Amino acid sequence: MRRRQKTCTICESGVRVVDYKDDRTLSRFLTERGKILPSRLSGTCARHQRQLSTAIKRARELALLPYIKGHSG
Amino acid sequence: MTRQYEAVYIFDSALDEAAISQHLEGFHTVLGLPESPALDHWGKRTLAYPLRNHETGYYVIARFETPPETLPEYERAVKLSDSVLRFMVVANEGTVRTDAPAQDVPADDVSASEDDDE
Repeated sequence: MRRRQKTCTICESGVRVVDYKDDRTLSRFLTERGKILPSRLSGTCARHQRQLSTAIKRARELALLPYIKGHSG
Repeated sequence: MTRQYEAVYIFDSALDEAAISQHLEGFHTVLGLPESPALDHWGKRTLAYPLRNHETGYYVIARFETPPETLPEYERAVKLSDSVLRFMVVANEGTVRTDAPAQDVPADDVSASEDDDE
């Protein structure tokens, strides 16, 4: 049985460049722990996965996103 | 040759808006901009993790066009300021480049011809 092809949600929404300041959108591509979700799970295309990775790293540096979630002291 | 840049500043949230505007003016005079940059005040936000023991910060985004040679002096000035918890300057990529080729590119060549990274 063939697995259904996942589609890139960023392409579908018509976004050309991923914005590093849009922390709400970026957080959809993080795991519970705050790691970057691999494209094989999110279905993101290669181009947008590259942009996402850069954007998430920038957002982390600007304290918009955490480096690790659920970490106590 | 000038480039478009976007700077994000995180100020100490204890500062009032007048003081923040004064700091910003000081930073931007170092750049020697012909016109004042477009400022977007996000205001006070909770930080995702504490920065220098601050739980909140005042975010300001500035967009300006300047030659790359002016940046080191400007970055040095911002770094020396105690009221800025963190800042980041990136080449502005939010808008579609105006110097991009106008002709249509075949669908299979699109990924190869487009600029993904700076």
